[in-house]
Amino acid sequence: MHEPEWLAPASLEEALALKAERTDATVVAGGTFVGILVNQHLLAPTAFLSLGGIRGLRFVAEHEGELRLGALATHRAVELSPLVREKWPALARAFSLVASPRVRNRATVGGVLGDADYASDPPSMFVALGARVVVQSRHGAREIPAEELIVGYYETSLAPDELIVEVIVPGGPHRAAYRKFRTRSHEDRPSVGVAACARDGGLRVVVGAVAGRPQYFPELCTGEPASIAQAYAEAIDPIGDISGSSEYRRRVIAVEVRRALEEIAA
Amino acid sequence: MSDPRATGSARYAEDFELPGMLHARIVRSLFPHARVVRVDASAVPESCIVLTPDDVRDLSPYGCQIEDQNVLAERARHVGDPVAAVAAPTPEQAEEAVPLVEIDYEQLPAVFDAVEAAQPGAPLLHETAAAGGAAAYFAMRPQPGTNICHRFRIRHGDVDAGFAEADAIVERMYRIAGAQHAHMEPHACVAHWDGNRLELWTGTQTPFSMRDDLATIFGIPPEAIRIVSLPMGGSFGAKTFVRTEAIAAALARKAQRPVKLVLPRSEEWQTLNRHPATVTVKLGARADGTLVASQTTCYADTGAYADCGPGVAQKMGFAAPGPYRIPNVRVDAYCVYTNLAPNGAFRGYGQMQSTWARERALDTLAEQLGLDPVELRLRNIVRDGDVYCTGETLHDVRFAECLEAAAAAVRWSEGRRGKGIALVMKGMQTPSRAAIAIERDGDDYVLRCATTEMGQGAKRALSLEAARLLGVDVARIRFPDPDTSLVPYDTRTTSSRSTYMMSRALAEAVRDPRGYGEIRNEGGLDPDTGQGIASTHWHQGAAAADVEVDEETGKVTVTHLHTTTYAGRVVNRLGAELQTEGSMIMGLGTALFEEVAFEDGQVINANLSDYATPSFADVPTRFTYELIEEDGADVHGLGETALPPVPPAVGNAVASLGIEVDELPLKPETVLAAMKVRV
Repeated sequence: MHEPEWLAPASLEEALALKAERTDATVVAGGTFVGILVNQHLLAPTAFLSLGGIRGLRFVAEHEGELRLGALATHRAVELSPLVREKWPALARAFSLVASPRVRNRATVGGVLGDADYASDPPSMFVALGARVVVQSRHGAREIPAEELIVGYYETSLAPDELIVEVIVPGGPHRAAYRKFRTRSHEDRPSVGVAACARDGGLRVVVGAVAGRPQYFPELCTGEPASIAQAYAEAIDPIGDISGSSEYRRRVIAVEVRRALEEIAA
Repeated sequence: MSDPRATGSARYAEDFELPGMLHARIVRSLFPHARVVRVDASAVPESCIVLTPDDVRDLSPYGCQIEDQNVLAERARHVGDPVAAVAAPTPEQAEEAVPLVEIDYEQLPAVFDAVEAAQPGAPLLHETAAAGGAAAYFAMRPQPGTNICHRFRIRHGDVDAGFAEADAIVERMYRIAGAQHAHMEPHACVAHWDGNRLELWTGTQTPFSMRDDLATIFGIPPEAIRIVSLPMGGSFGAKTFVRTEAIAAALARKAQRPVKLVLPRSEEWQTLNRHPATVTVKLGARADGTLVASQTTCYADTGAYADCGPGVAQKMGFAAPGPYRIPNVRVDAYCVYTNLAPNGAFRGYGQMQSTWARERALDTLAEQLGLDPVELRLRNIVRDGDVYCTGETLHDVRFAECLEAAAAAVRWSEGRRGKGIALVMKGMQTPSRAAIAIERDGDDYVLRCATTEMGQGAKRALSLEAARLLGVDVARIRFPDPDTSLVPYDTRTTSSRSTYMMSRALAEAVRDPRGYGEIRNEGGLDPDTGQGIASTHWHQGAAAADVEVDEETGKVTVTHLHTTTYAGRVVNRLGAELQTEGSMIMGLGTALFEEVAFEDGQVINANLSDYATPSFADVPTRFTYELIEEDGADVHGLGETALPPVPPAVGNAVASLGIEVDELPLKPETVLAAMKVRV
């Protein structure tokens, strides 16, 4: 076994070039997810493509009424941003509930989406808020609706030469909530995560940590909180693991979706 | 002055190095029960040393209480049982060599539950009872032809007659999950041979037991072995007796070079956990609440090797009746082999398991009798001078005080819905011996004793006590790491005994013109009748909890946790407080979610992401404790007392809402299931 190569581009252009050339490289930003996989021998890449040296991707800003989060903005930066807290409080809350301050100081916005880990909090919230993910390759940039980014367990719709560079969250009046249900420690990952957002008469309900990708069913998002919750519980086939059996999670989905909807109706 | 532990300059066992040392890794069984048919190390590079069962055939089996374990297994008895080991110039090379050792197995039938394993006809792990180990301080009672490696009984009065006169009887079975110590620093040691002398630097709570066990294994006199116990980054019972040291020493013997062995985190779950247990309690009382009979059956799952499991089962058994006057008592405690990883010492040492069962049963009995749980306990509580079911007289008894203080802390009298209370009566190692020598070095005093430091503050406590007794500033006290070639014999740093025992030895040493002090506590129990002296010094405490239960999800939130502990004279105030807080937080983990999970004998959450431990965010909003102090009283050990009563206080608080849960942890899913069956 050789020491993996550490590719550390200083600019986005350089990073995109390396991303295209070095398909063997694992992208690493904060390292909180990749570090665990490497330590547990679930991942042994020949090279790392570190984005840490790239300037200009750490912004948390408002532009034309929308929230723009650079891919390298940390969880902590989003959680503590006065802007996010004021105008997108549910998003700030979802980020504030991830693991511990030590992790949130390192983990990034792009990382939590790119990892596509089923038991993360922010992706469901981004989907509920109707966020778009800006991805870029040497040939240009495109936007992917957040619900189309994560396609399965640890799988995204990114092309091999693309990097996540930014997330755009629509602004304007909305009511949103994030509920994290844990069965163990406060620092644990969710057993069930529920994100909901009501905007312009429409409703988006998203359930995380129960399947390979955030569970969103536009056709089930009308009616009373209890009936929507019941419909979600029936539509989802939850996984069972150490944080709760499948049967138990189904029950919690029915409870927590209803509570999230009651929260935004209140 | 900044504490080196805070600045990062402290050096632990994991930091120790010798010139020219090799780095070792263990090759472990993939199966829960299998004969090792062939070990082929031909693919391993020549720069590595490989240790196979052939290399250790001359070594004797070991085990602190039963000598049932070989340095390498020719018959693997649990997933992760060491079958071979490698040593290489770098840790990375050692890691790469592990999968190159090819092992063929012939699988055998396995058993993973202690109750099942204790039945006749279960697959046997050890066909013949092995000899008692050096640290066996009581007679072993293996049950031939079964997996029971030790049986302990208490026979006091006539329980059948007692139950015959009872107006109310409860009988319930309680189950307690295994737990992992999750000490921050993994097991780490360095072994070095100087001719026929073995030197070992390791993080261990039991340097002299380690020395004696290694002497047995290598067939050399104990004096030819030097153990230096380096400061540990946590232990909680995990770093006791021989863990990885025999393998490191055998590798060093073969390599003719020093060998360092540090366990990767995941291997901690394959090395030592806390005993899962099944405890059945039957209690009988008169209508006025007077207890007339108590019967307890404990099955302690000790895993593939006994380790100190017989002692754990015995303490689980002798603490089971608890601090109550009961005329008729019967206890049967079994230490049972299963094909799980070994279970051993863990903060609370068996007494957490039986405390959970008894204190839960008492609340169920109170409910049946229509009595307040505090009143039921007070009606039966032991008082100064009472005789316990073992026949020993109890002194300096403060249980009623602890109970009443804990009840007051959660405003018990203002309504007890959502509140629970529990008492603990915990024994201390008996018999045992402690000795210390004080040397003068210029203006300084040097303490030579085997008390080890694992973060519990033993060095600070004994240094403060020495300064007080000598009438000098604590800055003049030096306390080097214990080295068995330089310090007098001490039983071990376990069972919350060190501040109590070693400070008494210290007082002797200060009085002695040569500066030497030695203290013994005598006693012990007849394993067949439970009569004798279980503990010369009992740890006394109570916990109270106030909880909320989410009726729709079963999630328990502890809003207030309180413990009251009898401390006697406090030697090191900060240490006493931190030990109490640590015990309470650890107790919350056991109460609410900690659990080693298995599938076919394989641990499925052997990492700190899938095995959750409490974080500071899990500490309840109201988190209080008090130490009952008395000037001039004995020093009381405080390392564990506040842990065992926490889970039953929480369980009883949940039960006060009509939700009876008999198993730990109180996972939301378990609580919800109990709500569905409630009437």
